[in-house]
Amino acid sequence: MTRWGQLLLLVALLGASACRYKNEEELEAPVAPATPFTLSYPYYFPVLDVPADNPLTVEGIALGRRLYYDSLLSTNGPHAGRSCSSCHFQSNSFTVPDPGRSVLPHVNLAWSRNFLWTGKVSGTLEDIMRFEVEEFFEVDVSVLQAHPEYPDLFRRAYGRSEITPELVAKALAQWFRRMVSAKSRFDGYLMHTEELSDDELDGMMVYLTEAGDCFHCHGLPMMTDNGFHNIGLDSVFTLADQGHFEVTGDPADLGAFKAPTLRNIALTAPYMHDGRFATLEEVVEHYSSGVKRSASLDPLMTKPGQVTTLQLSAARKAHLVAFLNTFTDTDFIGDTALASPF
Amino acid sequence: MHSPIPFSWSVRWVIIAMVVLNVASCKKESDDDPVVPQPPAVHGLVIEHHVDGAAAVLDAMNYITESGTTYSISRLNYYISGIVLQGMNGTANDTIKGPYYIGDQGTTRFTLGTLQAGEYSGAGLFLGLPPDLNVTGGLPNTMENVNMAWPDPMGGGYHFLKLEGHFDSGISTPGFAMHVGNSAYLAQVVIAQPFTITSGSGDLVLRFNLNEIFRTPHTYDLANGNYSMGSATLMGQLRDNAADAFSIEYRP
Repeated sequence: MTRWGQLLLLVALLGASACRYKNEEELEAPVAPATPFTLSYPYYFPVLDVPADNPLTVEGIALGRRLYYDSLLSTNGPHAGRSCSSCHFQSNSFTVPDPGRSVLPHVNLAWSRNFLWTGKVSGTLEDIMRFEVEEFFEVDVSVLQAHPEYPDLFRRAYGRSEITPELVAKALAQWFRRMVSAKSRFDGYLMHTEELSDDELDGMMVYLTEAGDCFHCHGLPMMTDNGFHNIGLDSVFTLADQGHFEVTGDPADLGAFKAPTLRNIALTAPYMHDGRFATLEEVVEHYSSGVKRSASLDPLMTKPGQVTTLQLSAARKAHLVAFLNTFTDTDFIGDTALASPF
Repeated sequence: MHSPIPFSWSVRWVIIAMVVLNVASCKKESDDDPVVPQPPAVHGLVIEHHVDGAAAVLDAMNYITESGTTYSISRLNYYISGIVLQGMNGTANDTIKGPYYIGDQGTTRFTLGTLQAGEYSGAGLFLGLPPDLNVTGGLPNTMENVNMAWPDPMGGGYHFLKLEGHFDSGISTPGFAMHVGNSAYLAQVVIAQPFTITSGSGDLVLRFNLNEIFRTPHTYDLANGNYSMGSATLMGQLRDNAADAFSIEYRP
């Protein structure tokens, strides 16, 4: 072999050796595939869409749960030192009983496509979690990366210990899919295992007929249509009350906010986007006599004869509240699998 | 000491051989190419929303009903089903069962498969669901379908149509909600309009003129009937008016 030939051979061997070294450095110790998790929910719930690139796994859900409760999630910005659970208490169906503000509950969001009161984020749970990770909590992944346990937890859930905002969001999305509330007394009624009282049944008639017309925006079984509605809280809209208009710029969306699920509604006071109502009785009274007209008032709030209020009797208002109370899922708020892992 | 020449020549011969073989194999392949059959035609169903010839725009207070009322449309959801394409001899040539859910996001396209090419005298369809599907749980539990549910205490099944918006009453802009459900109010739409499906792929286009809902045979006055759900009279008028609310064309 000539000198050139020898040189070529040497370069080739060195190149192959370098490639081998690099690959070995990138590969992590093999880890068993994450364990698939089958989510349980009633037959009458809509079929759940789970992104193919983020299937539910035992390890992914456990990781998301830990992140949800860990204040390490936010070490920067205005929410430093707080976690999701700082404003979402399990005992209150993952919202907070704080007069003067209203936090949407973390309940059955797996079936939601619009998020936050104004609909600032739409899409999948991965999309809203990406917003929470990058914009709301300003998660510093280097903090999680330096943690003694998180890299291994990510490796077990996603096969890699390098933590990225995308993976943090995916783990949280898995956890949110796990937060299913479907064992209320009303669910028992639908499953023919529970009976409702006469008052509750009359409240159901108010809810599911034009007498109360609750069902158009809070239809069964999710008790929300995932839409945005101006329900006549105001006739003049301050900056804080503009709602979906903030997102669309469409005057027809002024004062329209996301219809929250009414599941566990008795546990999630105060009510409305600004927490203006302290009790369910006040909420029902609003619909019965307090709706304010505006150009963007939802058409569903206008009744035959262009009347905007329901004018319910005292008895029917009480029955409606009694029916709303049947949406409370005590299993959900007492489920230790949903509680803090710390 | 080895000469570099034999090594270089061997490499050259290998390259030359590869090029020759490659060219030969390409030539052989093209010689043997069979006649490639044409893929079957694929047809789509396109739904468009218009108001008297102009594409419908949400939240624009610039439409006028037959009775002279200015209105806007803010929400539109409905089902169509049982689309029958009538052959020239008056018999049904093709049936597209559906149902199809249409939201208010504008044009909607569904893939149909292959329709029979030929001349058609017109079409028919249901604005809504046939009775066998119009029962609670009759449709798959999708988010769209559960949001169209017609509550059991009001008869069960699904809304056939939700058309909502605002209208100018002269002193304010109250809302209207044209909701139709219940099998007694299933609209049978007749489209007496010839069209031709040519060979090859294309789209069958159904155009819903929303203003027809307020036109004939009942001149619908929103001021007198802004909320139809639960009203047999108003739902009956909307059912009748929907009968000629669609037109059809084929786009190759």
